[in-house]
This record gives sequence, C-alpha cells and structure tokens, in this order.
Amino acid sequence: MKNFGRKISRRDFLKSAAAGAALTLAGKPVFSTAKDEYNLVIISGDPAPATRRALEAMGGISRFVKKGQRVVLKPNMSFPRPPESGCNTHPQVVATVAQACLEAGAQQVMVMDHTLSRPELCLERSGIRQACKPLKNVHVIGIEERKFFREIKIPQGKILDHVEVLKEVLESPVLISLPVTKSHSATGVSMGIKGLMGLIWDRKSFHDKYNINQALADLATVIKPRLIILDASRALVNGGPGGPGEVQKPNLIIAGVDPVAVDSYGVTVAPWYGQNFKGRQVEHLLVAHQRGLGKIDLDQLRIFKGKA
Amino acid sequence: MRTFVQAFSLILFSTLFIFTTYKLPDWLPADMYLRLDPLIGLSAILAGKEVIGRTLWFLMIIGTTLVIGRFFCGYFCPLGVTIDLGRYLLFRRKKISALKSEESFRKAKFFLLFIFLGAALAGVSLTYLMDPLPLLTRFYTFILYPLVITLINLSIDLLRPAFHALGWMGLSHLHYAQPVYYMALITFLIFAGIILLNRLAPRFWCRYLCPLGALLSFISPLGLWKRRVSKECNECLKCQRVCPMGAVEEDPRRTRLPECIQCQTCAGVCPQGAITFPASISYAKALAGEKYGPGGEYSPVDFSRRGFLYSVSGGLTVAFLADRTPFTPLKEKRQLIRPPGALPETNFLKACIRCGECMKSCPTNTLQPCLWESGLPGLWTPRMDLRFAACEQECNVCGKVCPTQAIRSLPLEEKTHAKVGTAVLLKEMCLVWAQDKLCLICDEICPYNAIVFRTVEGYRRPFVIASRCNGCGFCEQKCPIHGGSAIIVVPSGEIRLKEGSYVKEAKKLELEFKPDPGDDKFILEESGLKVEGDKKEGEKLLPQEKPKPPKPKGFL
Repeated sequence: MKNFGRKISRRDFLKSAAAGAALTLAGKPVFSTAKDEYNLVIISGDPAPATRRALEAMGGISRFVKKGQRVVLKPNMSFPRPPESGCNTHPQVVATVAQACLEAGAQQVMVMDHTLSRPELCLERSGIRQACKPLKNVHVIGIEERKFFREIKIPQGKILDHVEVLKEVLESPVLISLPVTKSHSATGVSMGIKGLMGLIWDRKSFHDKYNINQALADLATVIKPRLIILDASRALVNGGPGGPGEVQKPNLIIAGVDPVAVDSYGVTVAPWYGQNFKGRQVEHLLVAHQRGLGKIDLDQLRIFKGKA
Repeated sequence: MRTFVQAFSLILFSTLFIFTTYKLPDWLPADMYLRLDPLIGLSAILAGKEVIGRTLWFLMIIGTTLVIGRFFCGYFCPLGVTIDLGRYLLFRRKKISALKSEESFRKAKFFLLFIFLGAALAGVSLTYLMDPLPLLTRFYTFILYPLVITLINLSIDLLRPAFHALGWMGLSHLHYAQPVYYMALITFLIFAGIILLNRLAPRFWCRYLCPLGALLSFISPLGLWKRRVSKECNECLKCQRVCPMGAVEEDPRRTRLPECIQCQTCAGVCPQGAITFPASISYAKALAGEKYGPGGEYSPVDFSRRGFLYSVSGGLTVAFLADRTPFTPLKEKRQLIRPPGALPETNFLKACIRCGECMKSCPTNTLQPCLWESGLPGLWTPRMDLRFAACEQECNVCGKVCPTQAIRSLPLEEKTHAKVGTAVLLKEMCLVWAQDKLCLICDEICPYNAIVFRTVEGYRRPFVIASRCNGCGFCEQKCPIHGGSAIIVVPSGEIRLKEGSYVKEAKKLELEFKPDPGDDKFILEESGLKVEGDKKEGEKLLPQEKPKPPKPKGFL
C-alpha cells in the first residue's frame, strides 16, 4: 500500500489494529473473531443501529481509528437531493460512523466530497450536515475548488499516471469510505470504488478521455480506504447516479476492508435496471479484481450476517 | 443623531441584501427598501396600468413624508448615505462651492422625474435608470457582492495555513463560490460617476438629478417640521455654506422647503442659535410658497407648468422611440430565457425594476443581466445563462425577492411547472449523433428524465421529450462540447402566466415534470435488445464504435 505522506507507518497501523483487537477481546468477545474470520459483515436493519452493529462486527471502530487521529469520511453527498432519492449516503450512516470515530478518540472527523452541484445545497438537502450538527469536531465539507487538491503519482497506473487528490485525504491518516448503493449510467453501479471519484479533481476525463473502468482501478491503487461501509439501506436501481429513479429498500449495511468484495456483494442486493447481476459482471469491479485489488467471488468470502 | 440613523439605515439595507439568498425565510421582506420606494412603485404601476400589492408599501413613505417632510433623503436613503460617505472619504478636504447656475440645474431632477413618469405612462419603464434604490441595489449585486466574496476568499487563503496548523479544519476548507455578472463594468461606471459628482457640489446627485427626491419634494413642504430662523440671525451665511442640499437661499432666513431634507446641519453650525425646526401646521401656505408664513419664509417647488408639459411629452417621446423598434414585435421570439415565474414578456418588462435582487439571490448564478438582448426596454433585466449555470430544482428565491413581482413568488411545486423553455438537441454538434461517441451526460444530469436514448440504425441516440422538459438547463450547462452546447434551451413552450396556477396550466398542456424511472427500462428492454438484431450494420463501423451491448452500460 502506498502511503503518500500519511503520517502513519505500517507499524503504527499494526499496533493500532492490535490494540483495537485487544480492546474488542476484552469488551465484546462475541465479535472478537469477526475481523479475522470474516471478509464481509452484512447487517440488516435501520441505518443507524445497523451501522453501529456493523462496526462492532468489524471489530470496533478502534481497529481503524486511533486516538488523536484525523479521520476523513467519504460519503456520497454530491447531489442536492433528500435521502429518499437514493443518490446520497443516508445521513444516519454518516452521523453514526462520525460519532463512533469521536468515541474512538478521533481528534477531528472530516466528512468530505467533491460535490457535483453547489456544495451548500448538497450538504443541506442530503441531510448530512444536519445529522452531523450535534457532533463536535465533525466538519461536513463540500469541495468545489481546485486549490484543495494535490497531484500525486500512480505508480501502478495503467492508463492514469497521476491524479489530483483531495489534500485532506492525502494528509489524514484514516480514510473511511461510506458509499451508497446506486445504479450508474456509465459504470453500471456506483459504490465504493466508483465513489473514489468524489475525492479527485478531474472527473470529466474519466468520462470522456479514459476508459473509466480501467481508470477507476488505477485510482483504487492509490486511494485505499481503511474501512468501507456500504449503505444499502436504499438502492437507486435505475436513473443513477443522480436520479430520479426507482428506489428499492434492501435495508442493509455492508462493511469490510476489501473494496472489491464490499462492492461485489453490493451488486447482489438489488436488481439493477431490472436485471440481477453478479460482481463479476460489473466491468470496473472485474478489472479491479484482476489487478489484485480484492476478491470478487462471493463464494470465496467469509460473510457474517446479522440483524440490528 | 442623523449620522447614527444613516449608519443604521445603510447597515439595515446591507443586512437585508446579505439575507437575499435561497435560504431566505418566507416572512422576511428582504426587498423592503425597494418596496418602500414610491417612485419605482408608482412607475411600475403606471407602466403596467395595474396595482402591484407589494409596492403599496410605498404609501408608508408617502404618509411619513406628508407628516414629517423630506426626511427620507437625509436619513434613510441608502444611496444618500453612500454619497455622504463617499464625500467624507474622498472630498472632505476639498473646498466645494455650489454650482453657479444652481437654479436651473436644480430643475433637472423634475424634468427627469416627469420624463420617467411620462415614459411609464406610455408603458415603458425607465425609472430604474436613475431611481436611487434599484441603482444602489444593482451596484451591490454586480460589484460589491462579488468583490466582498473575492476579498473574503483571499483573506481565508492567506490565513489557511494558520487554520490548518491550529486544526480548525472547517475554516481551513472554507471557500465561497465566486459570483460573476455581465454588465458589472457599466454598473460600476454609473455608480462611480454619482460618487464623483460630489466633487462638483455636495450631494450633487440628490440636489440636481435624483427623481425620487424630486417626487418627495413635491409633498415634503406639507410636513410638520420646518426650518425657522429667528431674529437673532446675523446673516453670517454659515448655514448656507454647510447645507448639503443648498436649501438655504441668498437671504439665510429663507428656505427652499422642497429641498430641505431636515438634516438640521444648519441649526448645528449657527453661532447665534437662531435656527430651529419646530412643528407648524401651515400646510396650505407652505405649499403655495407664501412669503411670510408663520414659520418663516419659504420658496415653492421651482417647476413650471410648462416644464411639466415639456418633460411629460419628452417621456412619451422616449417611450415611443424605445418601443417602436423590431425588439417589440420580436419580443416573444427571441432566444432569451427568463426566470421561472416571470410575467408574460410585455408585462415583465413593464414591471421589472432592474434592482438585481433576483440575480443576487440566485444560488447557481445563472441569472444574469441583459445588455442589449431585448433593446433599451430590456436593459439589466434578468435572463438565464444556461450554458453557464442551470436553474436549481428546489429553489424559488428569485420570485420571493422580486419587489414588483415581475417574477411571481411561487411555491416550489408551482415553480417546477413554470416551464422556461425546451431543450433542443443539435444533432450536427452532438457527440453521439455526429461522431457515434458514447456520451450520455445530458441524460444523466436531467432531473426530469426528459432525455431518453432510442435506437436509430443500430445506435442508441439521445432524444428530448419536450413534454417532460421544463427548461432547467442542466443539459445545456453540462454538455461537453467546446465552443457551444449540442443541446440548448430555447424559449419555445415556455409558460408565462400573469395569474393562476402553473401546475394547472402544465396539466392542461399535458406536461409532466416528475422524476419517473420508466424510460431507463425502455432503454434496456427495447432499444438495448434491438441493437442485437441490427448487427449486420456493424460491418461499416470502426471497432471502437460497436453498437451498444444489450446490458446497461458498465455491466459485462
């Protein structure tokens, strides 16, 4: 994994993971094995309790967030539409994770996205700003300006060799991705990996210059969220990414550290454009899998299922 | 006391201006100052020949002027305050004497007033050119507001490293979207001219030019409080020199009552304490300009019947000339997209006072002032520049802040149905039609699913469903073509109602602006599969131009 200036070393990470594991062992022995054994955690239930439960099942947030760290949360909040529209992450998912990060001692939690409309409108209408308002040291920020991005190289890039990434993501030690499951008119579905495009400056070239599926895999080699919590409480099964479209309610929260596995499971939660698909049938996921970024076949995954 | 009230007024004006955003609460009349303006209200009513409820607020100013006198200019007019401030900042050290041919200059404002009213009577609203409140609001919108945002962003940029080091993460990512406007330079030059005229005479604008001041000076002599000079006066003429309005005559005991703005500066400087402003009820006498009223000696409004006739007919002529151009018959046919809820064009041009409140409040900045797009009667009127920005779906602020309701204040549902135009695809420019490229940005961005893909000769091509398009312009804004857009919104099909419900009208016309996912299914099941059957034609195509697979894009 490339570190590009993050202040945490692998050793730090291992230490914190161990500490987190120790904490969980002491606190909740039931889930203590989850992080070792399960690749994915699937919890059904309302967004807030299901998210909480998913975090517990993943071994607790402290496995990912250390005291005093700054955390970047990346939800989908690019559209000025309300939660029912299904194009943004549910505000309760964001607020619950932010709260958990604070409880784990995070110094600050930055909820960020490079919005497609005016940031003000997106933060407001998505309900995410409102949901995070009571939380101290949580900043909900929509970015629309190039000055907040910095160019980095993509050493393993096949078609992209550099990309401008949100500075804050490069500087913060922890990135947690909080995508929503939705259809996408160019990539079939938009989940965790597609959601990474919300952290870069030039999205247009992905659409009109490069093969977007290859470019996304390239991007996924440099931006690696430490944890992915996929919000499948609602699924915008067509009309994505911005809607309007049909919204189904799988009522699930999917958590994991393998970006391909999480998205691959997400593909199966609803029929997209009226058809059922598997992760392998989604081109950008398949490319990412072939590039060694994660597992794609669900039968190779150990999955924890629970209810909240 | 006066400075205090003036400062308060300017701050109130600015605060209301700041509040004119899409977040404006319904109860707050952010356009209050413009509603209170008697001249702009009167000329909108005259031009449109019907009463506009909102502008009737101006009766409050008329009423108070009748009681108090011309206090508005001296205390409340935000342009007056700005002019005083400008004089203080730029010319306070300069010795400024009044103009030589004072008397005749003074009449200019009356001529202007009646020219504007005459033009309004003929149905052409031109008062906005010189009425102080729209004029200042325009300056605020097009110059001050963008400038302040620039300065704020610059200072945040400077302090950003510090914010970052201190861990103030919210602040360290703060950035305000920069508003930009056409016509900014012209607006600035006019405003700068008004301030610089202070060099010639204090409050040059108010003394000689302001038509609102002229209107008020007709009724101000009826006010209760008047300047009175006692016998103590030693004719030192100090009062005459300081009077910002030149309202003290050669004989300092005499007052040009219509000009007096009750600032009481004269009373302050009088070494004898001879000047007072007592209340007196010599209405009729003051109006008649009777020389020796009980309160002192006053001169009447200096404007003859002949001047009145000249200027009214001048106004009629201007209106005639402005109106009899091809712009008028072409009014409905021009490529000009008005904001949703704008009155029918003819009524719109009569009612709009060009204050710029709608353009200030527009969250996407799509509302821009016209220059010559619809001729002289259309100067500074708002239009939508949809290539630059689109109309935000869940916003209806432009109508809320319109003081003359040239843009009707509509609930969101109504505003959604106030169709401003229809998108038209220019196939010769479209990447998909002309170059067989895979582009679907317009389809993706359209909030109403008004763009669908259908199979034509083996290709999926975009089409606009006119009955679903309300002209919001997201497609035009986001079209990736350089040097123009392959999809443009034209006013064709726009709904502009003077009254009544847009929802009903849209239903009558069988329009539907609703999120409806139906068409995506259509793409998949029908056009997608049909492409399979058309494969023979694929021979002609280059490899990268393969017809679409039956699965939706992105799936294998």
